[in-house]
Amino acid sequence: MKRRAFVTGKAMICSLGDSLEGIVDAVRHKRIKLAHIPFNMVRLPYTRPYYLINRNERDNLDNRSAEYFYAILFSAVSRALLDAGLNRAEIKDMHLFFGSTSMDVPVFEGNHRRTSATVSGMFLQSSFGYGKIAGAIVERFGIGGNCYSFATACTSSANALLYAAAMISERYIERAMVVGYDLFNNLGFYGFEALKSIAASEYRPFDRTRDGLILGEACGTVVLEGRRRKAGDFMHLGGANLCDTYSVTSNDEEGSAAAETMNRALKQAGIGPEDICAVKAHATGTENNDRTECAAMRATFGRHIPPVTCVKPFIGHTVGACGVNEMILFTESVKAGFVPSTPGFRDVDENLNLTPLTENMEAGEGIFMLNYFGFGGNCTTLILSNKDNKG
Amino acid sequence: MSEMYIHSASAFTGEANADINFLKEEIRRYTQENFRRVNRFILLSLLGALQCVHRQPLEAATAVYLTTEDGNLGETADVLDEIYTSRSLPKPFGFINTMSNTAAFYLARNLGIRGRNITVSSQHLSFERGLDLLKADFAGGAERSALIGGVDESSLSRMNREEQAGRGWRMVDGSGWFYVKPEKEGACGAFTEIMSFRDGPSCMRWIRERERSPVEVVSFGALIGDDEATALRKTLRPSAEFDYLRDYGYSGSAAACGVGLFVRLFQAKTLLHINRDQRGNYAVIELERY
Repeated sequence: MKRRAFVTGKAMICSLGDSLEGIVDAVRHKRIKLAHIPFNMVRLPYTRPYYLINRNERDNLDNRSAEYFYAILFSAVSRALLDAGLNRAEIKDMHLFFGSTSMDVPVFEGNHRRTSATVSGMFLQSSFGYGKIAGAIVERFGIGGNCYSFATACTSSANALLYAAAMISERYIERAMVVGYDLFNNLGFYGFEALKSIAASEYRPFDRTRDGLILGEACGTVVLEGRRRKAGDFMHLGGANLCDTYSVTSNDEEGSAAAETMNRALKQAGIGPEDICAVKAHATGTENNDRTECAAMRATFGRHIPPVTCVKPFIGHTVGACGVNEMILFTESVKAGFVPSTPGFRDVDENLNLTPLTENMEAGEGIFMLNYFGFGGNCTTLILSNKDNKG
Repeated sequence: MSEMYIHSASAFTGEANADINFLKEEIRRYTQENFRRVNRFILLSLLGALQCVHRQPLEAATAVYLTTEDGNLGETADVLDEIYTSRSLPKPFGFINTMSNTAAFYLARNLGIRGRNITVSSQHLSFERGLDLLKADFAGGAERSALIGGVDESSLSRMNREEQAGRGWRMVDGSGWFYVKPEKEGACGAFTEIMSFRDGPSCMRWIRERERSPVEVVSFGALIGDDEATALRKTLRPSAEFDYLRDYGYSGSAAACGVGLFVRLFQAKTLLHINRDQRGNYAVIELERY
């Protein structure tokens, strides 16, 4: 018999800090911390905004190393384990689902600052494959189960959540740890600039004047289990993943694959579009994403699109890590009684005809849709609920 | 276990650092599409998968599960060189192709299939973990048709001489694929068990206690040592052993290639493939040929 997967523990570190209470308070009051980073490596005469983790001197980009990378990671993991209240045997029993776009590139870049070796040669010598980081987590915390490292671009940790929940649901596993981690790296920062995708100064998803995405860094960790530990723990009702083969970088104009993903997720959750209380949009702020995502929501919900929130203006687009981190930010805000607003939104784009929440919306129990899209046509939708009567 | 019938299989193993044009020529045997702005990893993925489904009727709703140890790290190194050494912004498609799931995207687009599209990795057990995900999707009804493969470039292999313990394997490019459905009709075989164990004794216990018909062929993953292999042979008493690493070379995705080679080359009916990672977690694939 199938069962639900519940989020019983969580922790995250992002530009808003490393305490969930502090992060939710910043979201509630629209406090945003944005840094501006120059392109020193390629000598471009301008900066671009970035949502940096910046708690103290150790977070300074120039001071970072492999040790820093693992300190952030292990801090998030240990706090999530503590939050879930797992004992040693339960930790050993866990399976690990890891999602990231950059994997260990930030580690390499941190080490590279201290050497003058050939870059590519050194990278290939020092990188130990996509499974390395997950391997480090299980070794450090004595996790005995299987490791799954997802590399599906910006949907990586959303897919990690999807499969962890599915395996719990099918009773293949009892509990899972899901980690979404992407730290600042020049590869991503310079790469998105090469695509001309980075906004000049402010994040404005769905806005008429939107001009791109702003990257951010975060490490989020959640514990999923087959039973609820605390009242209010969110549960995974369903989800879906689908490949849009229209283009490697953008979704089809009608948003049909994204809409199909949402519909499949609703079907798997056993609910209809009218049951959704609010949507956390992917909302990268790029022209194509926002247009096709709007089209997809219209195809799914018709004229009655539920309230939509875009949380990237709070912590940036944390690429492969956004699945877990946006989920934590969203669900913790709902637990605190509100669906977050969308800072930066001012002018309705007539072509989209969609106004996301501009003020926090009161929230209680409900069912919520979380959407994620990525390069390679990857579309993922998760349906979560904090209702007590759907276990 | 949910039904996972193999409808076709392939295994491409290529010489290390072979000319990329050779891969493109090979791919032209299976498709008219001219792939531009793609790298070796993407071409290897396409070649193995297209070989697998050549002349095979393919469901439109087919998912792709691409498993890999290193993915596009070769392209990632090139892009890092552009930034750090050439001091220039990366070429857009070079940057996009650092994301390994682009390989699974190009495959789905070329074949005109629509379904889940997952790229997953797990040190030394990537293919086995991909099978876990596929098993969950079949069991949950999320998919009813899937292409699953393992792909890795030889140049990224870290299986150095010390780790090989003097076994002298050639480093090769590898791309092994399977077309899998829950329906038996038309199948050439089946994955009958996909098992995971936390340690060697648990794995050995399961092997001793399994009640299925005797294993005809056994094969071992790269980290199964000589003493361990001897003990397993003694317990299983197989008719034959398939040492695909010695015969066809090592890549990060050698397990997918080895199992694919068994389906294509052997007359025997059953294979037990035993693998482990550096932590001492074990995975067993049991396969039956029809």
